[in-house]
Amino acid sequence: MLRTQTLPSYSDAVVSQTTEAAGVGGFTTVLAGNDFRWMAAPALLFAGAMIAFPFGYAVWLALSEVQLGSAPRFIGVGNFRRMLSDAEFWNGLYLTLLLYVVSLSFQLVIGTWLGLLLARFQTARGLVRTVMVSPFMLPPVVVGMMAIVILDPSFGIANWLLSKLGLPPALWLSNPDTVMFTIAALDTWQWTPFVALIVMGGYLSLPHDVFESAEMDGAHGWTRFRYVTLPLLGPTLITAAVLRSVDILRFFDIIYLTTQGGPGFSSTTLNILAYRRGFEFFELGYASAIMVTLSAIVFGSVLMFARLRRAAAW
Amino acid sequence: MRKFGLFGSVLFAAALAVAGPAAAQGFNWRTQDGQTINLMFNNHPWSQAMRDMVADFTAKTGIKARIEIFNEEQFRARLTTLMQGGSADMDVYMSLTSREGAVFHRAGWYADLAPLMADKSLTMPDFNYEDFAASIRQASTFGKQIVALPINQEGPLFYWRKDIFERCKIAEPAALEDIPAAAAAIKACDANQGVWAARGIRGVTPYAMAGFIYNSGGSFATPDGKPGLSQPGSVRGLEMYSNLLKDYGPPGALNHTFTQVIELLGQGRIAMTHESSNEFANIVRFPNRANDLGVKVLPPGRDTKISKPVAIGWTVAISAHSKRQPAAWLFLQWATSREVQAKLVQAGVAPPRASVFEGEAFNAWAKELPIRRAWANALIEIGRTGTGVYQSPTDRIPEARDIIGGAMQAIVQGRATPAEAARAADADLAKLQ
Repeated sequence: MLRTQTLPSYSDAVVSQTTEAAGVGGFTTVLAGNDFRWMAAPALLFAGAMIAFPFGYAVWLALSEVQLGSAPRFIGVGNFRRMLSDAEFWNGLYLTLLLYVVSLSFQLVIGTWLGLLLARFQTARGLVRTVMVSPFMLPPVVVGMMAIVILDPSFGIANWLLSKLGLPPALWLSNPDTVMFTIAALDTWQWTPFVALIVMGGYLSLPHDVFESAEMDGAHGWTRFRYVTLPLLGPTLITAAVLRSVDILRFFDIIYLTTQGGPGFSSTTLNILAYRRGFEFFELGYASAIMVTLSAIVFGSVLMFARLRRAAAW
Repeated sequence: MRKFGLFGSVLFAAALAVAGPAAAQGFNWRTQDGQTINLMFNNHPWSQAMRDMVADFTAKTGIKARIEIFNEEQFRARLTTLMQGGSADMDVYMSLTSREGAVFHRAGWYADLAPLMADKSLTMPDFNYEDFAASIRQASTFGKQIVALPINQEGPLFYWRKDIFERCKIAEPAALEDIPAAAAAIKACDANQGVWAARGIRGVTPYAMAGFIYNSGGSFATPDGKPGLSQPGSVRGLEMYSNLLKDYGPPGALNHTFTQVIELLGQGRIAMTHESSNEFANIVRFPNRANDLGVKVLPPGRDTKISKPVAIGWTVAISAHSKRQPAAWLFLQWATSREVQAKLVQAGVAPPRASVFEGEAFNAWAKELPIRRAWANALIEIGRTGTGVYQSPTDRIPEARDIIGGAMQAIVQGRATPAEAARAADADLAKLQ
């Protein structure tokens, strides 16, 4: 019990419960006594081969000048120094963070609203869930192609609908000022149902007596949501935020399909920039440096949410 | 019997001794019978046709060919990964040597075809390398090394709707400067008719824009080899291309490449464009376009009289890491042979061999529709007068083209005047030299 309180993370709680279930000197002692640790070797090897080696190689490339056809030449932090004075990098970083903040905010807010609505929705729940799953089951290529066709300013159905409503046509993906918001909207359309399903699952697993007590104490509507539902949903929302953060920060396919980073550089996020530098301009060392930096941002965001999760645990 | 046998054996051995070297000199399609080669292609009418025809190659040579086709982005990413990793899995790949040839050559990714061509035992007698268009051969030659064989010939051509021009009583543009005038006249004649479309994405724009720059008297390089986009003629061409897109282009033109342009032309939403000859087959599949379109090389500048179109071609190369180069070489010869190219014309692939253009099959096909003849004439002309250079001198070609396209975008977006955009581009281009 004391152990669970001092280290209230999920993994430790599981270890604690497992230890208790096995009795004093239980499972862990059995493992240590018979030295079964070698059984973890395949998993460690797999992790090493599939995660550590590629990442280590990317770091090595990031610290090297790579000429096609020849071995990388170590240049230390040269690529990172170049990055600091590269306006395209700073533009890419700004756009990546803009997309992250806008998409994640919309997905969490709309996803929470939709998830709570669904949790109370009784009619044809299975059908509604199936329909909701369909956007994020679509491959990004399909979503990208749909966006190209629907949002084309000349022959897309989106502007046709606007004209029927008496509204002026929009440039959607072709306007440098709105392109990132259009892309954020596409990602939000595709992934909000995913957040909604997580929220719905989290909400349905909450203890009902808390809500009953809140009702009896006079907490209704917004007050109940603000002071009861939202704090209880905190860990669930943070889990959803972690999953979406990783995905949004490495968002590539739809942007490349629809705009290739344009117009100008107005949708050249760090992923697009790294791809172009690496595979179009053959600067693999510099592209790796950009990707290592982006990976650091992803790790940073995951760590931040992990800390938040501990703070929001109840 | 035994005497005859002994005599026969001696005679046979003698015959072998005499005929052996001669036989080794002779070309035989089946020397690599039983081999399997791996081919990686970019998605293109040529590669689609190859997939249908490759069984003929196997029947002729006994070599099995496994084809992988990817869209261009995936193709380039996979190619770079395989070649950088020194993989011997891939034997033959498509390459746009006018774009990446210098970089790939420096990386040592191409097998040298010159020794294979010179070896009479490996090369078919009627191969005739000089039959291929000179500009494409030049783009695939580095020093004495020949790195690839051309598989098609292409360049941007001027397409215009003859019916709209007639309806609006506008003459067919005879000079480059007639195009903006015709655009204004069409807009005045029919406000609902789209006028112009062209490429707007940075990296792919110079291919379509180069003709405007050259014909206006400009160039991508100064006489002393420095970036030349800010020369007066270059600025004029840059300005004309940008203004056509800004004033008469469709909304969202800066995100357009050939796919959107062809769709707009095919659906009848625009009256003119300057787009790849390669898309001809796709354009005439749309209803009525085979009858109401005109096609020709971009008109020359009125005062300059210059007509210098872009002419490039995709090629096929053998990987330097391939362990099956003789079998791969047989594939290259078969795929670029007169017989195969004559068949490929039916799939809309413009042949890079002059003899195929002059052949009966091609002429019979071209005669069926006037627009086919016009297209063929335009291709013959760009094969004769075209250039594969449409960027300032550098071997970082994709990056240079990106910068040049960026100058056009800056003008269209109103971020810079043509002169300012050209000067800024030249400064960036100078860093690539």
